[in-house]
Amino acid sequence: MVDTNSVLGYATPIVASPGERIRFHLSSATMAEVGVEVVRVRCGDPDPAGPGLKLRSMGSAVDGRRPVRHQPLRPGSFAIVGDRLPLPAQSSFSFGCFLWPTMPAKGAVQTIAARVDRAGTGWRLEIAADGRLRFAITGADGRTASATAPRPLLEREWVFVAARYDEGGMLSLEQASLDPQGGRDCSAAMAGSAPAGVLWPDAAPLVFAARWTGEEAGRPVTADHYNGKIDRPRLHASALESAHIRALCDNLDPRPGDPGLIGAWDFAHGIGTDRVHDRAASRLDGQLFNQPARGVTGANWDGSAMSWQARPAHYGAIHFHDDDMADAGWEPDFALDVPADWPSGFYALRLTGENAEGAPVDSFVGFFVRAPLGRARAPVAFVASTATFLAYANSALRLDQVHAESMLEGLMQLSADDCYIAEHREVGLSTYDTHADGSGWIYSTARRPILSMRPRANSFNYVNDTHVLDWLEEKGFDYDVIADDDIHRQGAALLGQYRCVITGTHPEYYSREMWDAFDAYQRGGGRHIYLGGNGFYWRISWNPAMDSAIEVRRDVTGVRTWEGEPGEAYHSYTGEFAGLWRTNGRAPQRLVGVGFDAQVFDRSSWYRRLPESHDPRVAFLFEGIGADERIGDFGLRNGGAAGLEIDRAEATLGSPPHLLRVATADRIGYGGLPTPEEFRTAHRGLDGEQNGNVRADMVFFPTARGGAVFATGSIAWACALSPRGYDNNVSRITENVLRRFLDPAPFEGF
Amino acid sequence: MLVNDPAAAHFEIDPERTDLVEEFRRNPKGPHSDQLRKVLHRMRWSGEGGRFVLVTIDPGRRWVLGRLSGRRGDPVELFRNQTFDNPADAEWHVFKVRWQAITGRAIED
Repeated sequence: MVDTNSVLGYATPIVASPGERIRFHLSSATMAEVGVEVVRVRCGDPDPAGPGLKLRSMGSAVDGRRPVRHQPLRPGSFAIVGDRLPLPAQSSFSFGCFLWPTMPAKGAVQTIAARVDRAGTGWRLEIAADGRLRFAITGADGRTASATAPRPLLEREWVFVAARYDEGGMLSLEQASLDPQGGRDCSAAMAGSAPAGVLWPDAAPLVFAARWTGEEAGRPVTADHYNGKIDRPRLHASALESAHIRALCDNLDPRPGDPGLIGAWDFAHGIGTDRVHDRAASRLDGQLFNQPARGVTGANWDGSAMSWQARPAHYGAIHFHDDDMADAGWEPDFALDVPADWPSGFYALRLTGENAEGAPVDSFVGFFVRAPLGRARAPVAFVASTATFLAYANSALRLDQVHAESMLEGLMQLSADDCYIAEHREVGLSTYDTHADGSGWIYSTARRPILSMRPRANSFNYVNDTHVLDWLEEKGFDYDVIADDDIHRQGAALLGQYRCVITGTHPEYYSREMWDAFDAYQRGGGRHIYLGGNGFYWRISWNPAMDSAIEVRRDVTGVRTWEGEPGEAYHSYTGEFAGLWRTNGRAPQRLVGVGFDAQVFDRSSWYRRLPESHDPRVAFLFEGIGADERIGDFGLRNGGAAGLEIDRAEATLGSPPHLLRVATADRIGYGGLPTPEEFRTAHRGLDGEQNGNVRADMVFFPTARGGAVFATGSIAWACALSPRGYDNNVSRITENVLRRFLDPAPFEGF
Repeated sequence: MLVNDPAAAHFEIDPERTDLVEEFRRNPKGPHSDQLRKVLHRMRWSGEGGRFVLVTIDPGRRWVLGRLSGRRGDPVELFRNQTFDNPADAEWHVFKVRWQAITGRAIED
């Protein structure tokens, strides 16, 4: 087995033009030196039944032997408030907030709030390993006094918690359930003696959801992370009665004129940023690390508003996870200045050597080179679906949920990457996964190693897309690569440089800006070839302040590998409603003629021509194809060109009147099952053996000003391009379409 | 919360239906009869007898049998003496293990 993980890394940025600089951040726990080589990727799929790995060495300035160090990954999100007055002036104090713990019985300490120095001196409110709330103070002499609640907190139940220290020599703790009935009451109060007159340390930041242990490479290092929500934390400079602390927390806008009020944090302020806002007079604003979930419901949410923008006061919570990972923070090892003459394409930094067992290492860091912005170098653009690559980054779904073997109708085939992720959750998972506490991952960023976006990766999206690159190269078509990041930022102007734009096997995740760009491109005479399935499906947001970071929320409907919490269907990055584009009034059929209808992972099928394929207006499509020919009854993905995820035309969802449904694969078999939004009520007969709407449609339609769209409606299509030496009907149809789409002559007769 | 419950697959497998065993032996990849589909769903969803996987040693050529523990962070357990050059052989091997785990009866090769 080839070792693809003993050295890992990431590129910043992941997309660059010639003349721009890309930094590489590497780490290895076991290797001291690696061989470095920049390669341009033609095919990233090592499957011997297909083209095989095809990587061209670029002879770059960074090639050669290079030292590599170990840079740890530190997962877990938290908020940190720097140490400054009035924090060091405290002796007596009170702290209170609302909690919604999602993993109280984790079996390890979880910190709610703490102000401790490197030696652990200070105070901390935490959930002990057995799920019970504990308030502890540790003096400069190292001795600890604590109070522990007699009963554990309940999972996913709101509770008010308060802790106070009286410098006269007492500490106390209270928890009060917000819904104390039906067995949900864990209310309790505890008090204990403590040293008198404790003075809190200097050089100790206040941290929510973790405990500070020091700094490394300019970043805080933390431990004992919390899983769950914290809402409206308050800190006061005296030992208040519980009712007083509760009143401070209940009050959405506590009076900043209260001289004892040290901090009153309002997490509803600044949703979409990594800052936390303090309403108190000393403005102890804080910084978030590793992107905990924002725009989430608070203890006072009552369903009267579903959007955090409509009623921010009900969204004053942050949901922290001990496995959040948004920015590894690794130091760069070296930088590549992309040479002016490099062609656009998928690229990778190849890292080779020997691992600790003496076995060969062949690891990659994926990145993309676009044409200089505004200066297209080819008539065709292939879209690097970076949003989709991010959405799937480091998925452990097949490992953590039990559906995969049933869906595949066979044993899962795991790669070395899967085995690595099984053990190394610190790389951060994908938006398909759940956190350790069962909640969904809503953010995915590129500032961490992405094992699924590089050659040799698992064969979905990225690797499948390289089969299109391989085919373009084989057929001699010049192409530029443009990335979703660029389409989001540059919009229709970027697409408009190209006579034809090809989207790949699985362009599933689209922001409004990306959708608008394609819509305007197509209306302006652009020609779009969509060679995939399940495209243009989920609405996403890009982080306005961080490159290559997306947000996905899975609510309402769609193929959801987790279900979002009620009231949390709006993106925190932008405030946009999330979910399917179909729910947002833009079913994919309206843009590309077809839309996701079914998954079929057990076997792929083939297309048969329909009467509209003989329409003389689309004669170009089927030149060289017989009337009764089976199209794509071969391929590298389960033996056919129609499979994995498939799309169909549907006029009621927006397939245009001029659309010609030229071929269909509608004999899918029982492994084909419709997406949830494709049936109204549950009934037998939904599967592809019995249901004609479980199918892949091949369609063509003209758009305004000579534009056009061609779609195949199947992820498996691209992996059927290469069989028989690229001399097959899938390859031929694809070539027929591309050649015609490059011909500026308008499509007549519509 | 939507969760995948392994125990939800509760189709009762009749140990006398050795005809279904033979059907699977002849054709591990399918398509299968309706009754065999139900047997396979029980086995694959519940993971009784072991949540087995194949780990690719050489893409498209060689695989080793593995097993998932169900606990996050655990390594994939590898059975290094159980390697296959054809996934269909692995399917038959796992079918036999699970049939015995569920019905208490061994399948003779």
